[in-house]
Amino acid sequence: MRDLGTLELVRESLVAVVNEMRANVIHSSYSSIIYEGHDFSCALVTADGRLVAQSLDDSPIHIFAVPYSTAEVVKAFGDDIHDGDIFLHNDPYTGGTHLNDVLMLYPVFNGDTLALFVATRCHWGDVGGMTPGSLSGRAKEIYQEGLRITPTRICERGKMNDAYLTLLFDNMRVTHERKGDFNTMLGTSRKAAEHLERLFSRFGGNALMNSVEELIGRSAAVMRERIAALPDGIYHGEGYIEGDGNSPEPLVGRLKLTVDGDRLIADFTGSSPQTGGPTNVGPAMAFNGVGSIVKSFLDPHTPVNQGSFLPIEVINPVGSFLNARLPAPCGGMVECRALICGLVVAALGQAAPDKLVGDLKGGGNHVYISGPQPDRDDIYLCYEYPAGGTGGCRGVDGNHAARAFPEGDFNSVQSAEVIEAHCPLRVEYYGLRDGSCGDGAFRGGLGMRREIKVLSDTASLSVLSDKNVIPPFGVAGGGSGAPNRFTVIRDGTVIEPSPMPGKVAGFEMQAGDVVRMESSGGGGYGDPLERDPSRVAEDVQHGYIAAADAETRYGVRLDDELRVDAEATEAERATLRADRIEITVEVANRDAWDGPRRLIAIAPPLAADLAVGPGDIVEIISLGGASLRGWVKIDPSAPGGAITLGPEGVAALAVNAGETVRFARLKAAVA
Amino acid sequence: MTAGTYLIGIDVGGTFTDVLAYDRVSGHILQAKVPSFPGEQWRGVLDALAALGIGGATVSAFVHGTTIATNALLERKGAKTGLVTTEGFRDVLEIGKTRRLTGGLFDAAWVRPRPIVERELRLEVPERVTADGSVLQTVAQGDLERVVDVLRDAGIEAVAVCFLNSYRNDDNEAAAVEALRALLPGVPVSQSTALVPERGEFERTSTCVLNAYLTPVMAGYLDTLTAALSERGVSADVNIMGSNGGAMTIETAAQRVAGTFLSGPVGGVTGVCHVVAELDIEDCITFDMGGTSTDVALIHGREPRMSHDNQIDAYPLQMPQLDIHTIGAGGGSIVHVQPDGTLEIGPQSAGAAPGPACYGRGGAEPTISDANLLLGRLPTDRALSGGLILDRGRADAAFQAVASMLGVDDVVALADSALRIAVAKMAGAVREVSVHRGFDPRDFVLVGFGGAGPMHAFLVADELAIPNVVIPRFPGHLSALGQMLADMRCDFVSAWGGRLSSLTVAALNAEIETLTGRATAVLTADGIPAELHRHTVNLDMRYVGQSFTLPIPWSDRHADWTPLRAAFDARHAETFGYEDQTNDAEIVNIRLVSIGTVEKPEIGMADAADGDPVLERRQVWFGDWIECPVYRRDAMPPGFAVKGPAIVEEAGGTSVVPPLWRCEVAADGALVCLRDD
Repeated sequence: MRDLGTLELVRESLVAVVNEMRANVIHSSYSSIIYEGHDFSCALVTADGRLVAQSLDDSPIHIFAVPYSTAEVVKAFGDDIHDGDIFLHNDPYTGGTHLNDVLMLYPVFNGDTLALFVATRCHWGDVGGMTPGSLSGRAKEIYQEGLRITPTRICERGKMNDAYLTLLFDNMRVTHERKGDFNTMLGTSRKAAEHLERLFSRFGGNALMNSVEELIGRSAAVMRERIAALPDGIYHGEGYIEGDGNSPEPLVGRLKLTVDGDRLIADFTGSSPQTGGPTNVGPAMAFNGVGSIVKSFLDPHTPVNQGSFLPIEVINPVGSFLNARLPAPCGGMVECRALICGLVVAALGQAAPDKLVGDLKGGGNHVYISGPQPDRDDIYLCYEYPAGGTGGCRGVDGNHAARAFPEGDFNSVQSAEVIEAHCPLRVEYYGLRDGSCGDGAFRGGLGMRREIKVLSDTASLSVLSDKNVIPPFGVAGGGSGAPNRFTVIRDGTVIEPSPMPGKVAGFEMQAGDVVRMESSGGGGYGDPLERDPSRVAEDVQHGYIAAADAETRYGVRLDDELRVDAEATEAERATLRADRIEITVEVANRDAWDGPRRLIAIAPPLAADLAVGPGDIVEIISLGGASLRGWVKIDPSAPGGAITLGPEGVAALAVNAGETVRFARLKAAVA
Repeated sequence: MTAGTYLIGIDVGGTFTDVLAYDRVSGHILQAKVPSFPGEQWRGVLDALAALGIGGATVSAFVHGTTIATNALLERKGAKTGLVTTEGFRDVLEIGKTRRLTGGLFDAAWVRPRPIVERELRLEVPERVTADGSVLQTVAQGDLERVVDVLRDAGIEAVAVCFLNSYRNDDNEAAAVEALRALLPGVPVSQSTALVPERGEFERTSTCVLNAYLTPVMAGYLDTLTAALSERGVSADVNIMGSNGGAMTIETAAQRVAGTFLSGPVGGVTGVCHVVAELDIEDCITFDMGGTSTDVALIHGREPRMSHDNQIDAYPLQMPQLDIHTIGAGGGSIVHVQPDGTLEIGPQSAGAAPGPACYGRGGAEPTISDANLLLGRLPTDRALSGGLILDRGRADAAFQAVASMLGVDDVVALADSALRIAVAKMAGAVREVSVHRGFDPRDFVLVGFGGAGPMHAFLVADELAIPNVVIPRFPGHLSALGQMLADMRCDFVSAWGGRLSSLTVAALNAEIETLTGRATAVLTADGIPAELHRHTVNLDMRYVGQSFTLPIPWSDRHADWTPLRAAFDARHAETFGYEDQTNDAEIVNIRLVSIGTVEKPEIGMADAADGDPVLERRQVWFGDWIECPVYRRDAMPPGFAVKGPAIVEEAGGTSVVPPLWRCEVAADGALVCLRDD
C-alpha cells in the first residue's frame, strides 16, 4: 500500500514538473502562437529517450515524437553529454515533426549519471524559408521550409554557442520573438531542472529512477492486457492525402494492422512514395499516430509514458511519404499524422467496434496572414490553425469546433481582441459553420467559419491544409463532414487563393481583403435515418442545421414550432430508405488501382442511377467501419447492380461477398 | 456596525449550517449547528440564530458565507438568460478558442458541456469598437429593440452584455446596457466591463454570462433572507463573504454574483489564517471536509494563494478569488458499487436529510460516516452535540447490503476499504493544490477542520507523508469564525500602463489616487471609517512583447522606476528562470486591493473545563482493533498532551489520532500534532 503511494507520488510529482513547465512557457513567451495558441508541449524523457511524463494538455503530436529526437541526440553525442549542455533539434528526418517545432533538450543528472532530459518543443512562428511563417502548401523541398537543425549542442558545459544562435536568429523572421521564445524555453528548462533536483533529493535519485522504471513497466503491462483482449487478426485501413500542393495527384496511405496475442504490428508498406510537396513526414510520425489512437482506444486512463507503446511495432519502409528523407518537405506533418490516425481508427475500429469514431478535421489547417506593421520597421504574423468538428461515436455526437481527442488541449484560434491589438487585422466573424456536420445517428460536430479583414496596405496568405477535396470520413453508416475551405473575399467576390484547394503559398492580398476560413465538420457515426428525431429538432432549434436539412439529410419533418412531426417523419424516412440504392459486393482476386487511386468500376446503367461519372470521387459507406474512398471508372463490362472489390477493399470495408453497400458522391471529377 | 452585542458568522454548508457568535460584552463564544435546507438556505440561517437563543436586536454584525451561486450553477438552476453581443460573435460563448477545458485527451466520447446561454438566446447587434478604443459604429436603438422583442418572447429573466474590445472603450457596451435596462424593467442586466475590465472576449463573456445567470437567484435569496431577518428584529447590516476572502455588502453581492462562488469555502481559509498566525506557522494546507464536499487551499507565507484566471465547472471565470480546490466527497458521501464491480465513494451525498444510515433518519445507504462508526471512531452509547445518538445497527445493515452485492462478508474490512478510497480522494485534492502547483505537501502543515476534517486529516497526512497536523479549536465552526472576523474587501483593476520608459511615477500615483478614491467611497459607504482602510497596489508587469504579466508590489515611496524594475527582473528570473535586462518592461494593469478592517476581538478559545479529560476507552480499528482513550477536548488545558492512537471529541468534531502521532494543546486551544517516525 505504502509503496504504491510512493509510486503515485513520484508519478504525480513528475507530471507536476511538466504542468509547471507549461505554465511557465505560456506566461513568459513572446509569440502569440505560444501564449494564445499554446502550440508547444513539454515532457520528461529518460536518458535513453523513453517518455516518462507529459501533462494532459500537452499534445501527443509533439510529445510522441520526442523519444525519436532524444534517441538521435544520444546517438550523436553518446557519453559526451555533460551538466550544462543544452541541445536543439527540429530535423524531421531524425525524429522531428516539422521544422517550426523546435525541441530543446536539457539534461538533468542524478549525481554523475545522466538521468533525464527536460524536453520543450515549441512551434516557432517562423524558422526562415520561402514564406512568412515557413509553412506553406506549395514548398517543393525542405530548404524552402526554413532552417534544419540536426541534433546540435547549442550550449556546452554552460557556454552558449552564440555564433550558432546568431546564425539561426538572423535567418528567421520577427527575430525578437524568436529570441524571446528561445529564452522562454531556456528559462523553463532551468526551472524544471531545479524542480527535478529537489525531487531527486526528496525521493533519492536512484529510488526515483527505479520508480520511473516501475511506472513504465506497469503501463506496458496494462497495454499488453488490453491488446490481448482484442480478437487476433489482420485489419486494414486505407485513406488519402488529396494532393501534395504542387500537383492534384493524391497520396494513398495503407495500413495493415495485426493483432497477435499481446502485440500490435502496424505495417504501412504500400503507401505512396515520398513526394515533392509538403505532405511528407519523417520516421517519428507513423509511430506517433499509431500510439495516439491505440492509447485512446485501449488505455486512455493510465498516465502517459513509454510503457504504453512498448507492445506496438511499426513497419514503415523508408522512402514513402510516411517515412521520407531529404529533400522532401515535411511542413504538412500534421496532415500526414491525421491521415495516419484515420487509418488506425479505421483498422483498430474493426477490432474494437465500440470505439469507432468519425474522422476529424484532418490536419493542421495552418493559416498565416502576414504583412508590414504600420509605422514600424517590422512585419506582423498572425498564425491560426482552426479546429473543426470532431467525429461522432457510439452514443455521442461530435463536438463543434473543438480540439480532437488525439490532440493537446490548445487554443487553435486566438482572441480577436489579442489579434486586433497586435496586428493590423480585424476579425469580422467567428462562429459555427452551420450544416457542416457529417450526418449520422450520432452526427459529427460543426466546423467553424472565421473571417479576418486585412487593414495593412498589403498582406500575404499561406495555408497548409488537407481534406479540402476529400472530406473527413464517417463510420458505421455515417456521412462525411463538409471539407475544409480557405478563400479570400475581395470586393464581395470569393477568390480561390490557389489552384490547389487548401494549399496556398504567399497569396498577395490588399487592404480590405477578407480571409475566410471554414473548417471541416466531423464525420458521423451510424445511419442518419436512425438519428433520434428529437435530437434533429434540437439541432434545428439551435440553428446547427437548417429545417430543410433535417428533411433531406435526416428524414425528419418539423412543424412550425420546430417540433417533430412523428407521422410525417416516419413516412419521410420510409421514402428515403426506399430510394436508397443498395449495391452488391462481388470479390475479385485483386483491387483495381490507377497509381494511388482506388478505382471503382461501375456499369453505365448503375452509374446513371447513382448520378456519378468517370473520375468522380465516391465513397462506399461501411456499416462496420470507416467509409472507403475511390474514383469512378465507367466500365461497360462491370456487373450490373454490383461492384467488384479486391481483398484489401473488402477487408477495409469489413464486408463479405454478396452483402450490399451504399454509395455517396463526394466530389465531381475535376475538369 | 450597530451597537448590538454579538458578532456573528454563519456558514451554510451542503449538510449543516454552522453559526458562531462572539459576545462582545462577556467575551464568550456561542456556537450551534443545524441542518441545512437545500434550496432554502435562509431557513438554516434562521434556525441557526434561533438555536443560539439570542435576540435579533442584540446582533451587531453579521457575515454570511453562502454556496447559493455555486449550487445553482452546478444544478443548472440559474435564470433563463440572454446574451447580447457584437455582430459576428455570438458563438464565442459556445466554442471559446476551441479548447476542451474539461479534459478529453484520448477520450473520443468526450462531450463539451452545453453553454449557459443556448444559441437562440445569444443575440447580435451591429456595433464596433476597434482595438485602440475608437468607435467605428455605435449601437442603434432599433437593433436593441429588435433584440428585446426576442428576449421578451423567450421569457428571459436576466441579460448579459459583452461587446468586442469593450475593455478599451465601453461606451457602446454601457449605452446598450442602459437602453436594455430601460426596455426590460425588472430584468437584471450584467455588463462585462463592470466585472472584468480586461482583454479577452471569451473569458469576459463567460464571466458576464455566469453573473447574469445567477443574479436573480442570488438577489431572490438575499431578499428573502433580509426580510426574514428583519422580521426577527435583526437590524444589523448583513454582509456576504466574497470569493476574494473579504466581505461585501448584500447590495454588492447581488450585482457581483460571479465574485461569490467561493463565499462558503473562503471562510475556512480566512479562519485558518487567524489560527496559524497564533501558532507562528507560515505555510499550511487547509483541509475543510464537510458532509457533502471537501475544500482544500494552500497558504504560503501566511497568504492564501490568489488566482485571477479561474474556471468554474466548464466555464472561464475571470474574477480574483482564493485558489481553493473542491471535490465532491465528504462525510455523507455514499459508498456504492459501480457497474464493473468496484467500490466507489460519492459524488452522491446523503446530506443532512436523510443523512447517513447511522443517523436513523431514513438513510439506508452506507456513507463515510457510517464507515467511521463501524470502525469505532464515533460513539454509539452517548449523544453527539445536538442530541443525536448514532445507531450502529443501521450502519451495519447498510454496509451488509453492499457486502452482499460484492459477495464479501467482512463488514469491517469493507468499511475500511471505503475509508481508504475516500482518503485517497482527499489526498488527491491536497496534491492538486500543492504538488500540481509546484509545492511539496510535506513542507506544509495540514489544518483539518469542518465537520469531518479532524476525523480524516491524520489519515490524509499519513497518505502524503505530511508530518504536521493542526486541528483548530471549534473545528466544526472555523468557517463561521473566518466569516465573523472577515474584513470588508474590494478589488479594483485599471487597464493603465505602457512602457516604463514612457511613463512617469507621478502619473501612476495620480491614477492610483483615483482608484483609491473609489475604494474609499465604497468602504466608507459600507460603514468602515477611513482610518481603518488599507490599500495595497500591485502592478501587472511584463517585458515588451510578452502577453502574460507578473504582479509586482508598488509603494508610493518609490521616487523613480529603478526599484520597480529591479523587483520585476528579480521576480521574473525567480519565476521563469531568466531575466531580460536588454528589453523594456511595461505596466499593463494597476490592481488595487482595499481592505476595510473590522473589529477583531481577542477570542480566548482555550478551555479548561473541570473533570477527567478521559471520557472512556474503546476499541478502535487501525488495521486491527486497538483499545484507545477517548478525550473530551473542553477538558484539555493548554499543554495537555495526547499520544495516538486516541480519539478527541468535542462539539462539532471528532479528531481521530492514529498510532505514531503526538498532539499537544497550544495556548490558543489548537491541537498541534506531529508524527513520530
